[in-house]
Amino acid sequence: MREIRYREALREAMLEEMDRDETVFLMGEEVGHYQGAYKVSEGLLDRFGERRVIDTPIAEAGFAGVGIGAAMVGLRPIIEFMTWNFSFVAFDQIISNAAKIHQMSAGALRVPIVFRGPNGAARQVASQHSHAVAPFYAGVPGLYVCQPSTPRDAKGLLKTAIRSNNPVVFLEGETLYGLKGEVPDEGVEELIPFGVSKVARVGSDCTIVTWGRPYHVAMAAADALAKDGIECEVIDPRTLRPLDLEPVIASVAKTNRCVVVHEHWPYGGPGAEIVDQVQRRAFDHLDAPVERVSGLDVPMPYALNLEEYVLPTEERVIDAVKRVSYAK
Amino acid sequence: MAPERGSCKLAPVGKPVPDEDHLLKQYRSMRTIRRFEEEAARNYAKGHIGGFLHLYIGQEAIAVGAVDALQPQDYIFQTYRDHGIALARGMTPESAMAELFGKDAGCSRGMGGSMHMFDVERNFLGGWAIVGGHLALAAGTAFKAKYNQEDRVTICFFGEGSTNIGGFHEAMSLAGLWKLPIVFVCENNQYAMGTPLERTSALDDLSIKAKGYAMVGDRFEGHDVTLIEERLGEAVDRARRGDGPTFVEILTYRFRGHSMSDPAKYRTRTELEQKKQLDPLQVTHAQLIELGVAESQLDDLDLEIDELIDAAVKFAEEAEPAREEVMLGTVYAPEDDA
Amino acid sequence: MAKIIGLPKLSPTMEEGTLVSWAKKEGDSVDVDDLLAEVETDKATMEFRSFDKGVLLKILVEEGVTLEAEVPVAIIGKAGEDISALIAEVEAGAQAAPAPEETPAPEAASPAAPGPSEAAAPAPAAQPSEPVSSSDRVISSPLVRRLARERSIDLRSVEGTGPHGRIIKRDLDSYTPRPAGSAVAAPGERPAPEVRQASSMRRTIARRLTESKQTIPHYYLTIDTDIEPLSAARRAMNAALEAEGKKVSLNDLIIKAVAVALRRVPEVNASWMDKEIHYHRVVDISVAVAVEDGLMTPVVRDADRKGVVEISEEVRDLASRARDRKLSVDEMTNGTFSISNLGMFGIEEFTAVINPPESAILAVGTIRQEPVVRDGEIVPGTRMRFTMSCDHRVVDGALGARYLAALKSIIEAPLNMLL
Repeated sequence: MREIRYREALREAMLEEMDRDETVFLMGEEVGHYQGAYKVSEGLLDRFGERRVIDTPIAEAGFAGVGIGAAMVGLRPIIEFMTWNFSFVAFDQIISNAAKIHQMSAGALRVPIVFRGPNGAARQVASQHSHAVAPFYAGVPGLYVCQPSTPRDAKGLLKTAIRSNNPVVFLEGETLYGLKGEVPDEGVEELIPFGVSKVARVGSDCTIVTWGRPYHVAMAAADALAKDGIECEVIDPRTLRPLDLEPVIASVAKTNRCVVVHEHWPYGGPGAEIVDQVQRRAFDHLDAPVERVSGLDVPMPYALNLEEYVLPTEERVIDAVKRVSYAK
Repeated sequence: MAPERGSCKLAPVGKPVPDEDHLLKQYRSMRTIRRFEEEAARNYAKGHIGGFLHLYIGQEAIAVGAVDALQPQDYIFQTYRDHGIALARGMTPESAMAELFGKDAGCSRGMGGSMHMFDVERNFLGGWAIVGGHLALAAGTAFKAKYNQEDRVTICFFGEGSTNIGGFHEAMSLAGLWKLPIVFVCENNQYAMGTPLERTSALDDLSIKAKGYAMVGDRFEGHDVTLIEERLGEAVDRARRGDGPTFVEILTYRFRGHSMSDPAKYRTRTELEQKKQLDPLQVTHAQLIELGVAESQLDDLDLEIDELIDAAVKFAEEAEPAREEVMLGTVYAPEDDA
Repeated sequence: MAKIIGLPKLSPTMEEGTLVSWAKKEGDSVDVDDLLAEVETDKATMEFRSFDKGVLLKILVEEGVTLEAEVPVAIIGKAGEDISALIAEVEAGAQAAPAPEETPAPEAASPAAPGPSEAAAPAPAAQPSEPVSSSDRVISSPLVRRLARERSIDLRSVEGTGPHGRIIKRDLDSYTPRPAGSAVAAPGERPAPEVRQASSMRRTIARRLTESKQTIPHYYLTIDTDIEPLSAARRAMNAALEAEGKKVSLNDLIIKAVAVALRRVPEVNASWMDKEIHYHRVVDISVAVAVEDGLMTPVVRDADRKGVVEISEEVRDLASRARDRKLSVDEMTNGTFSISNLGMFGIEEFTAVINPPESAILAVGTIRQEPVVRDGEIVPGTRMRFTMSCDHRVVDGALGARYLAALKSIIEAPLNMLL
């Protein structure tokens, strides 16, 4: 194992897959000559040239659609959205086209494409640039949705996504790009399958389900709670569609309580889906209602103090765990 | 590079001299589409067909002329008014009608219906039902042809109503920028659902839009299949040569409402009757007679096509219903046979 | 200032309630919403919570007393406050109370008589939309409910410490069952129970008796009788029957006596049939017969009109065929009253479960030789107790008592059977 940053892990995944398969190409705004708005694609243009690292005008609907069309006939595009906030102008392409083509054509066409980019709040970029978009995409059959929280998961899942025969929504995080973490050594290929949750921390007292950036908030909260004698089991589903809750159900059977921690708004979405499944599938194991710690139900404000208030915090996670544990 | 023809004058009717056998074949294809659509309408009224049903009656010459301007490896995209191009490209009336009936034997096995016909073997890549949403896909297949340096042109049809939506603009922008091997064909049937062109577009001549994307533009009428084949052929050749995309506006007219639920009260009976003077089937019929084809031969052909379509309806009626396994099995493509 | 606290209406339909227990004693401070007492209403045992803050200065009603809503039960005020005037007011009210016919007519009390439409407005008391709170709802987590099932713990006996008194896992873990409940022994190294499949008869008994106990409001009346006269009658009869080689049992005579008494008090010979009461025109006595692994109740039809010998022969035949499982369904169903006799096992008295749709069952105890006081003298007595389980929907206490009195008069003077 070696330590690299999250953005480097993503870059390695793309580089390795582009080396491996000539049908893979990267397309998006500023991915080439600018070396990537967040430097994820740095160096790829030099290595692969303009044929395979393609700068686009600011036209998300257009280049998302071009990617889908190319995927329909055999290429494996990686479409980078500079941020997922801009995916909304390409929403129709992803929802009405990418997610539908395989079934609409009775299986005759397939759409092996990855849409990727940073998701969620960055820092003080205000309401239009701070969307946590998982609820918009995770509810759509025909799409896969990944939201890795560590460099290792980012690399292993992106490689799987690029090789997938289906459209994948790949949610990264601007504030995760600089995060360092272990990944397998060079030459050691790791493909992380979709629909396999990761038990990131073992504990007996409370199950925390979390993903994306709040994963790190929850892990810190779990450390703090351990000092109070409450041992949390932290589970990261890693892919929100397919969603693997087997380990969560098994964990709740052991801990009898569950807190779901996520950045997206509280109304619906993967957070609510997980609560629904836990209460149905682990009903007789629950000693307390399932709690959620989410981004607050407001458009993201600009002011730093308010942004910090809106996002899930360690304190809110600790409070929720204590509430479901009936601990003071 | 070919000379620009944007904002051209209307070409004279029937100027290119048609070949008798070829025209007869095209007449058969157009007639098949016409009869198919008439029977689809009948079966919609009977309740055998549900949802939306958009008929191509009046526009048949465009699909038939376009297909003859293309090669088998070329990709075709169409809107939800897609039965005509599917049949022109060679889909059997049985397969198309069974799809309308929601049967497993349909071209999309009952998953798509009238608006989402596909015939991937013949490179007909679909009927698409979000206005403007498929133009970028077509640019994408053209992108792939260029990426792989394939001898393959994409043709993409849409209505004049699409030219006002963002999807049109972005696809045209990228296709023009990247000089993709594609022909955009605007079938201007004068009405965006119920709204006439003068109330939806600042331009009367839509082919002018080509200039905004550094494309060649062309514009002509859509009732003469020979003319259509020739002029689209020019555009297709341009794309094949690598000389970039063309935007073509074809002036046409649909003789039925926008869909089966449209009474078409927004146009007058006089207007409709006047347009029917240029019914592409009648025009072609007249040309064939002029070329010396016997009236009786055409009558026999009509009868033959009637039987073909009747058989297609019977086939669709008797076909097995759409299947749950197909529905469940096509949400995601298998991952193991990449 | 101190105030008199009346018994609140704790359910929309409550007219009277029994003050089961006080949760506070005199001198205790009381806060708003503090539990004052438990009150049994027509619905359930309800919590009587204080609407006032202060000190419980005086408890006016002892535990166990049933009283109407609004009747004063306590005085709450400041510590050390003089409440003699309030107590006097309560006492004055109590004396005036038992004269309901003196309640003044409403129009007489009101100088400005309301218009007829206003007067006719319905009283706002009954508001059916208001949810009836039920104190027997046990709030517990799903996990706790499962664990309680597994550990056979009655959650009503566990105190909840979670929000809203929710019983949570911790409460169950710290719960120690009362010594009486042997069923709650923790399953540890103790040998597991032997599991036997219940026979279909057992399952039927289980189902029918559970249904009976859960749906029929049982209550019980016991009467002690001098059984000597009936024993003497039996001896005389058997002497007379000796030549024929026949014999009757005391139980045969009791069946006859029970049947005759039912003719005398026919309202007991009835069935509750959902909004209707069916009064039976025949007297068919079900006789409980113990068989292997269970119990059967063959029916002696028209027992009131049959002679004791006939009854005797019939019972013997039915009992023997019951033990051989040879009874037909007809012979076991549609009785109108049941008798269960455990006297032969030395049981002095017991209560039996009603055999639906009958309205009563008579539990017959053993013959006891014991001293009794007669005319001021202690003399040897021969006694037998009868306990009747009654369906309160059909048989009220007074009616049940009247029946037992009729039965007693027959048992203690068997010639009465002939009346």
